[in-house]
Amino acid sequence: MAREKTTLNLTSGSWITRVFVGAFIVFMAIFILGPLFWLAARAFATSWTFPNLLPDGVTFKWWGTIVGDKSLLDAIRNSLIISPIVVLVSAFFCIPAAYAFSRYNFFGRKTFLIGIFAANAFPTIGLYAAIATLYYTLNLMGTVLGIIIIQLLGTIIFMTWIPAAAFSSVPRNLEDAARDAGASKLRVFRDITLRLAMPGILVAFVMSFLASFDEATGTYLVGAPEIYTMPTKMYALVLNYPVQIAAVFSILLAIPSVILITVARKHIIGGHLAEGFQIK
Amino acid sequence: MTTSNETLNKENLAVLKTARLSLFGFFLSVPPVLIILLFIGLPIVLAFIFSLGFTSGPNRIIALLGQEIYTKDNWWGTFDAYKSVFNDSRFFGNLRTTLLVSFVTTVVVLTMSLGLAIYQRIRGGRVAAVLIALTLVPLFVPVVIAAFAIRSFYDGTGFFKSLFEIFGMNFPTLTMTTYAVAIGTIWTSLPFSILMISSGMQSIPDALIETAQDAGAGFLRIVRTIMIPLAFVPIVIAATFTAIGVMGSFTIPYFLGANQPTMLGVEIVNFFGPYNRPQQSVVMAFIIFAAASVIGFFYVWANVRSAKLSGKI
Repeated sequence: MAREKTTLNLTSGSWITRVFVGAFIVFMAIFILGPLFWLAARAFATSWTFPNLLPDGVTFKWWGTIVGDKSLLDAIRNSLIISPIVVLVSAFFCIPAAYAFSRYNFFGRKTFLIGIFAANAFPTIGLYAAIATLYYTLNLMGTVLGIIIIQLLGTIIFMTWIPAAAFSSVPRNLEDAARDAGASKLRVFRDITLRLAMPGILVAFVMSFLASFDEATGTYLVGAPEIYTMPTKMYALVLNYPVQIAAVFSILLAIPSVILITVARKHIIGGHLAEGFQIK
Repeated sequence: MTTSNETLNKENLAVLKTARLSLFGFFLSVPPVLIILLFIGLPIVLAFIFSLGFTSGPNRIIALLGQEIYTKDNWWGTFDAYKSVFNDSRFFGNLRTTLLVSFVTTVVVLTMSLGLAIYQRIRGGRVAAVLIALTLVPLFVPVVIAAFAIRSFYDGTGFFKSLFEIFGMNFPTLTMTTYAVAIGTIWTSLPFSILMISSGMQSIPDALIETAQDAGAGFLRIVRTIMIPLAFVPIVIAATFTAIGVMGSFTIPYFLGANQPTMLGVEIVNFFGPYNRPQQSVVMAFIIFAAASVIGFFYVWANVRSAKLSGKI
């Protein structure tokens, strides 16, 4: 249903407008993309002499350095282990709740929903300081469990809100028809409800994975110096390593985001994202 | 803004609201709420009483480990930890920086999002599509990388510095100044605000705009009386989310800001970790919470309102 949008007839044909719009595009391109290219180029630079706009030479040797550095490999391994666990735990607790929000009337329904939003309304750094205070008592400082919990908090809004919307959009009459045809409740849920809600649930998985994989502040506060993930390792890299190595590591760290968001882009930009969003 | 999906949602919701209360539904929905209560609600309460000098019970260990801990001398606690934070001459500079950066970022991001969303809604076309696509790029970039990339782009050997040098001119080094922090927060905040506001604008029916136009309403009048009111809830969500996000940021000011004054996010981590003054760290956290509380209220209000409009609550 591609409907044409009205285009108001503004006086925009004039060359002044065109020049202005053109200049704005160039400005935005430099503002947004400039830093990324400037950084990415460093991952392949032998050295860089100020004020040249291009590096002195091209090399891949920095990529080899990563493989030889155990602490960097540890960070990659930690990230690749912790984030999937966070996503699975989050799905285990939140997806049944999402189904309940979509299908059942129960005591406290509205309060619970407001509570989930309210959890998102705190400036994160203050929240992490408060959590870390409790972590000392619970003996969770510097532990994998502590990191999993702190990253889990950032995924809850995605894992409840996006699947709830997905469950709500499954037509009830399809479920009723299947029930009439003799399918059991469980079978209806598995073969119809869950299957039709799957795209929304997958978007929730993608967003939760990225929220966990890219989470730096809370993980740093409760994990360092015992456990580093890729984003928290970046803090040390930026300050203590050659800029080229940090650039290589940046590219590695960005790969999951770029792949997953590209795959899920249609759904994210199509509106699922607006249903529950938390990144920083 | 009524799509078939939303009509369906609203009908289902009407059925749902009259359904009898389900115990099963209640139990299914409890786990995430419990996690939030345990790991957000409880820590906030404990940290608050810790900031007032309640240093026993669950706060005993942190009080043992930290330095310069103030213990309550009244039944309700003490303000000594707050006093020590207020007496630190750096604090007010940091608070001012935090509020200023949050305010400037929110204004800039909102202006850009509104401008782009209105342009896209009214003009449409390739230019709008390209601009929107550009502003969504930061969505793909983890914030640590964004901060690092912006840091090297504006530092002493950065792009503009090099470019100007080639022509024998000088460009200021922005990295390690508050300007760079604002550039970073604007860069990372743009995609969410643009997504929110442009999808809000896109859902305004053509008929409304056309009718107004036929009745002789000019561009600004259409924007002021139709587009902004109809996209009001997404605009509030975008603005409040941006402001709260910036107030609670650490990575951007840590990589891009000056050592002093810096944003409170950096100071909270410094006081918690390197300075080992957890009580002061928590005090600053509550000062940020207080500053953000009104914004947070509107954030929750707008989200609940938006959920209601689309038939989810």
